[in-house]
Amino acid sequence: MSGEGAAVMFLATFHWGWLLAALLLGFAMGWIAVVHRGHGVSKVVARWLAALVAALLAAALARVVPGRFGYWLDLGLMLLAIYLIGCAIGSWLRDRLLPGPANAG
Amino acid sequence: MRGLVRWSSKWWPGTIPLAILWALAAWTSTTPLEAELGSRSTAALKDILLDKSRVTVSGRDVTLAADAFSEDGRRSAVAAIEAVAGVRLVDDETRLIPEARPFVWSAERDVVRLTLTGSSPLPASKGKLLEAARAGLGGVEVVDQTKLSRGAPPHFDEAALLALDQVAKLKDGKITISDTRISLSGMARELGGREAIAAALKNLPEGFSVASNEVKAPPYVFQANKDPVAQTLTFTGYVPDNSVHGAIVAAAGRKFFSEKVVDNLKASLGAPAGFANAVVPALGALSRLSTGTLVVSDREVKLSGDALYEAASAQLRANLIKDFPQGWQLKAEISVKPAAAPVDATVCQQLFSEVLGKGTVRFESGRSNLDPDSAGLLDHLTEIALRCPATNIEVAGHTDADGDNAANQTLSEKRAQAVVDYLVKAGLPASRFSAVGYGSAQPVAANDNDEGKARNRRIEFLVKEQP
Repeated sequence: MSGEGAAVMFLATFHWGWLLAALLLGFAMGWIAVVHRGHGVSKVVARWLAALVAALLAAALARVVPGRFGYWLDLGLMLLAIYLIGCAIGSWLRDRLLPGPANAG
Repeated sequence: MRGLVRWSSKWWPGTIPLAILWALAAWTSTTPLEAELGSRSTAALKDILLDKSRVTVSGRDVTLAADAFSEDGRRSAVAAIEAVAGVRLVDDETRLIPEARPFVWSAERDVVRLTLTGSSPLPASKGKLLEAARAGLGGVEVVDQTKLSRGAPPHFDEAALLALDQVAKLKDGKITISDTRISLSGMARELGGREAIAAALKNLPEGFSVASNEVKAPPYVFQANKDPVAQTLTFTGYVPDNSVHGAIVAAAGRKFFSEKVVDNLKASLGAPAGFANAVVPALGALSRLSTGTLVVSDREVKLSGDALYEAASAQLRANLIKDFPQGWQLKAEISVKPAAAPVDATVCQQLFSEVLGKGTVRFESGRSNLDPDSAGLLDHLTEIALRCPATNIEVAGHTDADGDNAANQTLSEKRAQAVVDYLVKAGLPASRFSAVGYGSAQPVAANDNDEGKARNRRIEFLVKEQP
């Protein structure tokens, strides 16, 4: 849908500062995650979380949430998506640059 | 890839600052985003014709409330906003403006105000018509009560502008356009306004027609006043054009032998049909009055005044109406001038000479029929003859030297006889008159030029004491 594409482009240019912040936050979190020794999210919880995100995404795409709440949902999902991309990049880079400790851990 | 899955289980702590980021972003960006989308949506509607359009934005959802002038316009308005980048949903609260059937627009004016009522097709037309009304009727308050409606016929604006032009020519009245039919009523501001409006209505745009035109005009008035004391004939009022004007003044010159013409006539449209054909004979009748007024108002001719003697009054009443074109009416209020004191033969002769010095009894060229233009002069001669009942009068005919003598002799005799007949018809005893012809034997001027010949063609009255 070109309309969606245009909408995303518009929101990206309008919110680039916030999105950059989310990307950096994700990058940092991803960077840390590789060497983090704390507990991760259990598989069951991860599934529930994924299901929740999928449901929210579906709601956003179906445009069922009206008005400002709908906008906030879109905004949250965009920030989350950028955050996850940042996380992935961070983790992957850390893994490539510092293979020793992570693989050992 | 499996590493990514493993690591991702440890990404969750970052979602706490992310949530804070989200809240901050939502807090600060919502209002600017709505403003931005609002202005973009309004800009997108710029070229689409809508009335009372109102754009409200909530988040990324735009509510459009407007009156559209067509289903197409309504759809394209919604589509235009949907095409604005960043808009998520369009809440369509547009509606079509109601259709007027029949589509009626009217302009009614009285002395101080012009009121526009009914339907206007588009805001632009509404504004244009209001503007035109203000410009066309300077100083008159214009009240626009029209409502926007669909269903105007093609070329409505042109027709309404033309109608407004015509309203300006009315003193009061109303012009209504109902679909393509135009009705007019009221009173024209000026003489000829009715004709000007009728002429302008010929330029109505294609498809429009005049259903009824009941515009009235002020009466078309022409007046002539004969004043024997000041010896003037005063014209006031209107004539249709310069040629009629000239014809009337020339006719007055022929018919009124001693009066000076005071000409205050103005040219104007709106004369009733046959105007000149009615006014000229009416002037002839006025010339036969001692003092009198002629008022021509539309097709009514009012002649009032004093005839010079009893029989003239009866003749005027009976004959004038016959000379009028069809449809004209005559109101004659003719009384008879009280008989003047009798005079003796000398004074009588003096009076005849005086009158005949100012005017000449005219005949048809080469014949002995009296020219109707001489009726006024003949009536004055009759009146004088009535004042000296104890005299005999010789009516002498003279001609110029053109043609052979025998014919001139006969013509002069016949012409003198025609004058005597006129006097007898006026009620004078035939025994007092003798008709004598002198042909060209007694010229009073040289016969070698037209002016001299005209002076030689004449009737003379010679008063003799009765034996």
